Amino acid sequence: MSFTSMSEAHRRIADFLNHFSEAVSSQDGASLKSLLSVSSNSSLLLSLADDLNLYQDWSRLVKQAERNSHTLGEILVPHLRCVQSYRSGRFVEAYAAFEKSANAFLQEFRNWETAWAVEAMHVVAHEIRILAELADKELASLGKNPEKLQGAGSFLMKVFGSLAGKGPKRVGALYVTCQLFKAYFKLGTVHLCRSVIRSIETAKFFDFEEFPSSDKVTYMYYTGRLEVYNENFVAAAQKLTYALMHCNSRHEANLRMILKYLIPVKLSIGILPKMSLLDKFHLTEYTDIVKALKQGDLRLLRRALQEHEDQFLRTGVYLVLEKLELQVYQRLVKKIYIFQKQKDPSKAHQIKLDVIVKALKWLEIDMDVDEVECMMAILIYKNLMKGYFAHKSKVVVLSKQEPFPKLNGKPVSS
Amino acid sequence: MLPSSSIWSVTSSSNHSVEEGSQVHAPVITGHYSWPASAGQVAVSWNYGANNGPLENATSSSSGDHYDPLRDSTGSEGAHFPTNSVSQTSASSNLSATNGNPAYAGYAQYPNSTYSYGYGNMQYQSNYYSPQQANYPSYQQAGASQNSGASYQPHSSFQNTGSYATPTSYSGTYFASDHQTAAGCPTSGYVNQTNYWNDGSGGGYPLQYANFPSLDTNSAPSTSNTTNNSYSYQPECNQWPINYGTSVSNVNCTPGPGSMVSSTVPTATYPTQSANGSYLYASSQPPPPGTTSWRGDLGLPNLPSSQAQNAVACYPISSWEEKAPTVQNYNLNQIPSDLQKPLDLKLPLFENHDANGKTTCSYDPTSSLQVFPSGQVSQIPQQPLQAISAMDASRVSKMQIPTNPRISSSLAVGVPKLDKEGSTTNIVAKPAYLSVQVPKLNNQLSSSDDTDAVVKQGAFPPSLRSYAERCFSRCKDDAERDANKIILSEIIAKAKDDSSLWTKNWDMEPLFPLPNSNSNAADRNILRSTVLSTPKFPGRRTKSRWEPVAEERMDIKVALVNPDSTKNVSWAERLAGGRIHENEWNSMKLPLSQPPPLNKTPQRPLKKSRFSDISNITENGNSSSESDKEQELTKHYSSAIALENSPEEKKRREHRSKRFENGQERRTDGKQFKPRAAGVENILRKASAMLLAKSYDDQCSGAVEDINWNALTVKGTSQEVEKRYLRLTSAPDPATVRPEEILEKALYMVQTSQKNYLYKCDQLKSIRQDLTVQRIQNELTVKVYETHGRLALEAGDLPEFNQCQSQLKRLYAEGIKGCQMEFSAYSLLCVILHSNNKRDLLSSINSLSNAAKQDEAVKHALAVHSAVSAGNYVLFFRLYKAAPSLITCLMDLHVEKMRFEAIKCMSKSYRPTISVSYIAHVLGFSTSAQTGFDGENGANGHEDCEEWLRAHGAVLIVENNAELQLDAKASSTTLYMPEPEDAVAHGDSNLAVDDFFTRAS
Repeated sequence: MSFTSMSEAHRRIADFLNHFSEAVSSQDGASLKSLLSVSSNSSLLLSLADDLNLYQDWSRLVKQAERNSHTLGEILVPHLRCVQSYRSGRFVEAYAAFEKSANAFLQEFRNWETAWAVEAMHVVAHEIRILAELADKELASLGKNPEKLQGAGSFLMKVFGSLAGKGPKRVGALYVTCQLFKAYFKLGTVHLCRSVIRSIETAKFFDFEEFPSSDKVTYMYYTGRLEVYNENFVAAAQKLTYALMHCNSRHEANLRMILKYLIPVKLSIGILPKMSLLDKFHLTEYTDIVKALKQGDLRLLRRALQEHEDQFLRTGVYLVLEKLELQVYQRLVKKIYIFQKQKDPSKAHQIKLDVIVKALKWLEIDMDVDEVECMMAILIYKNLMKGYFAHKSKVVVLSKQEPFPKLNGKPVSS
Repeated sequence: MLPSSSIWSVTSSSNHSVEEGSQVHAPVITGHYSWPASAGQVAVSWNYGANNGPLENATSSSSGDHYDPLRDSTGSEGAHFPTNSVSQTSASSNLSATNGNPAYAGYAQYPNSTYSYGYGNMQYQSNYYSPQQANYPSYQQAGASQNSGASYQPHSSFQNTGSYATPTSYSGTYFASDHQTAAGCPTSGYVNQTNYWNDGSGGGYPLQYANFPSLDTNSAPSTSNTTNNSYSYQPECNQWPINYGTSVSNVNCTPGPGSMVSSTVPTATYPTQSANGSYLYASSQPPPPGTTSWRGDLGLPNLPSSQAQNAVACYPISSWEEKAPTVQNYNLNQIPSDLQKPLDLKLPLFENHDANGKTTCSYDPTSSLQVFPSGQVSQIPQQPLQAISAMDASRVSKMQIPTNPRISSSLAVGVPKLDKEGSTTNIVAKPAYLSVQVPKLNNQLSSSDDTDAVVKQGAFPPSLRSYAERCFSRCKDDAERDANKIILSEIIAKAKDDSSLWTKNWDMEPLFPLPNSNSNAADRNILRSTVLSTPKFPGRRTKSRWEPVAEERMDIKVALVNPDSTKNVSWAERLAGGRIHENEWNSMKLPLSQPPPLNKTPQRPLKKSRFSDISNITENGNSSSESDKEQELTKHYSSAIALENSPEEKKRREHRSKRFENGQERRTDGKQFKPRAAGVENILRKASAMLLAKSYDDQCSGAVEDINWNALTVKGTSQEVEKRYLRLTSAPDPATVRPEEILEKALYMVQTSQKNYLYKCDQLKSIRQDLTVQRIQNELTVKVYETHGRLALEAGDLPEFNQCQSQLKRLYAEGIKGCQMEFSAYSLLCVILHSNNKRDLLSSINSLSNAAKQDEAVKHALAVHSAVSAGNYVLFFRLYKAAPSLITCLMDLHVEKMRFEAIKCMSKSYRPTISVSYIAHVLGFSTSAQTGFDGENGANGHEDCEEWLRAHGAVLIVENNAELQLDAKASSTTLYMPEPEDAVAHGDSNLAVDDFFTRAS
């Protein structure tokens, strides 16, 4: 290492330290942000990492800079170590260092009464989650127990606690909530979201609409997904629709993510999307399902479900889509009803069971009379069909008025 | 008055133990269990007697339960124990006749709770003093040990002191405790926790001792019985007996002095001490006097006479060792300081103790045995074992003799009489130390010469010299001495090579096993290897070993460790002039001999007890800070020492020696009893040696976390195929744990059993417990869980099934083969049918491999899922009928819900009627699984269905064709879900009283 590069490194490290302490002392949240975002791969931090590798004795510099403020050293030493480790791809180390630094930062952050550093805190919250995910990946590849994201989750809860109270920092709480959601969804511990949601939704002193809209969209997206898990389709549709409406239309990936859940939810309450929407957002996995719903093609639905089973299971909409079967039956019977009506309007409201069984046979669905009878009974029971089933004559007798009520945004009654 | 006070102290000690309990007991518990065989049983018997310390009783009783099983397993041992206890009690009664009934009763009880206390209160003064002063010293030690326990745990120690004080007589108890401690020491070697126990129960030992002493005077047989018992416990008992004998002699000697001292000076000194009192040091001071007195004893011909006979003749070394262990314990405990003081006084014993302490871990068992050596001791040991923790504590108390002063001081406040007694006992305790010295005298001459041969003065650290002396002092003859020399030279050369000659704490260095000792050569080799490997940080080692036992202790130990080392050094220096012994190997053997503990670790009581002992020891050692005070005390005591040689003392010694003889006989008997265990024991010994070596290594590394838990895993010895399930509340007792091959038989037994589910469930749970405790995870484990899972399904016991299921998931994930598909289908069905959690369902479907999805059972489960999800009752009941029997059982639990949903659906959608026969067909009422729609089997199903429909409020009408019909429209408003008939208020019909009865039958 040449002397010049050493001194250069020395200078740049000192610069960084100065920037940092200046940003803190002048309460410049924006410039502090850039100094904290380890995973942004900014040229500033990348070169800083190289400098740190070059100038091994950098901790002495930190100590010198620390003379004014002791606590900054507690933030900076692990932070720089994290930058170094991140640069060399040692994410577990990077995470451990960053967690230390983040805790020290949070300690400081609590003492700052104004909200100037909220954005910097957001960066910390984001970074710790990202680093935790990277670290977990590294741990998993080493065959170790990936537990860092869990640790990040508990740190984020601390951050949330420091923001969620009354006061100017409250506005930053939703961002952290969303980071928490991301961590919890990844971990599969979505039940942990409940307490955070309660805290957000029950606070009377802070209107939800006052949060930044990007956070609101994210929040609605995740809470909508939670409602999908709970099979609470109306609420899910409402939240996801909110997210869709407020999402920046340029963020197609985000729109697509929202639609991935919104479409099945809407389908389950009887609202079909236009094919063009599916095409636009490349949601082709739903194309066949929508078609099946339109045509009453049970076979197509089952095929589509089977084809994308893994994907649907992963995203968690499989169970929602599976329940569309009843609507497909309904559509099928309606089709038969329409045919009969064309042939003989007077007898249209009486559909023989044999006819339905035959129709299903054509669809290569092998169901015997009992089963079909059962399905008809269920259709009537679930109010997808008006009428009754005459067991002795094996005939479905449909109501003359509106025999196939539309769901129109209401869920299938259970 | 005295008794009550003693009780108090007992309770207090028990409290301590309880407080520490988490540390000591819990960890120790295992140790205890291991002990249980010996001590545990005793403890049980004692417990019964002991009303005093509820806390201790509780703990002991719990342990006692464990012990019982252990006893059974050990067989002969167990039998002995009970007998021992009996004999002891009888002995105590005898004693009481002579000395004081109350005291005896107290003794009996004491073992359970706080031995020393009870004893101390009642009889110690009278019985102990008169019969065996040596015992007293031991008692004092016990008290000290308790004190040490206190030092470990401030609260407890204080209380202990208080209790001690009351029991001035305790000193007597303490002596007993010393014996016990000796016993405890072995245990401690195994488990530090036991030491803790000892601390807590130290009193108990004294009590036992008290009995013994009384026995000695009154009924030697009883004591002998006890000794026998102890023997039986330890496979090497025969050898031990000898050791015991020697040790006993030592004890006697010491007692003599102690009694002398106690009678004269003690009271005075103690009170003064108590005045000082409050100071731990004050208490410690008394011990120093005791030590001085001990010295005097050594010097005194009387002591030699008794001791010489026993110890010298038999195995002075061993006896020394035994004592040494106790001493070590003491040192380790609070006593350390005291001990050091004694050492200062030039008591070789102390050095020995230190050395023992180093080895103690292993030694503890032996040490306890050694304690027994004094005939009383042997008896006591068993009790001690039971009380072990208490015993250890008592040892500590010895060390802590100072604490006794404390106690006395506290007692002085509350119970003046007791204080006096305590003081006397304390004095006695000191004598015990003296007695230790006596053996030294015998050994010393030769050993010092030998030592000179190997270790040139000046060229080596004095502590090394003392170490060498210790090594030689245990040699019985020239052959051994030569072998010793060779080994010692090797060790020293080795130390030189790695330049640890001056850095090594030789005082703490465990003695290598005697080359030609009576015990198995193999064992010795193991021991030696362990000893050699154990090297460097004795105090810490013990700590590290025991760490698992109790964190607090660990901390304490850590804090104490440094002091110990320093003390050790001082001791070593002082001792350098003296002699010594190698209780170590004896102690080593003892731990080994204790079969159950050896097998596997923490779970076993014995092991735990050992650990606890060790920890106590270490603690004692740590408490070295008190040594200064002790030294002061020794000065006081020195004046009292003169009394040691009194005729009374001689008599007592004689009694003791007689007891010892009896004890030896009984011990041999005990060996005979042990027969079946013999082979196992050897294995156990080896295992224990390995364990010890391991622990030493751990200590060296200094990290508790490094402990290899595999090495500590319990290995069952029970041969019973049938075993009732009892949820463990403490460490498992290897004697009640069945090894794998027996478990296999047990599984087969359950599989072929004709008994009801509750019986099978109980058996399977106990099998599972044994597997878990032994950390067996293989195909047998899977088989057991699968069997249980299936049986649970059959019986509709979903909670139990879920337990099995979750274990199976883990086992399958580890790659152990079994009926994975079958059970993944079960688990899928469980989620589908019995859980409302959609996420669980998603993830369990998602986690199915493609191969799994091809499995018939899994396919079936998925079909059930879609039927349920769609509400397709026809499909559901078709699948229900087609399902393999166990899946049917699982689906059974969902049938009612499904039927009701279906009937609601039907009554809403069908008009005007549906035939009941159709409903019966569709809803799976036709019992024969044939799909026959056509009513071939309809009759049965029809009736059931009709009944079911009526029960659910359906409106049934008979139409003109005489077929029963469901009036759909009318029914749609009248359907309801009836309350389950077999509902139980608490919601779990498995807990119904009737079931308990059937289970019990």
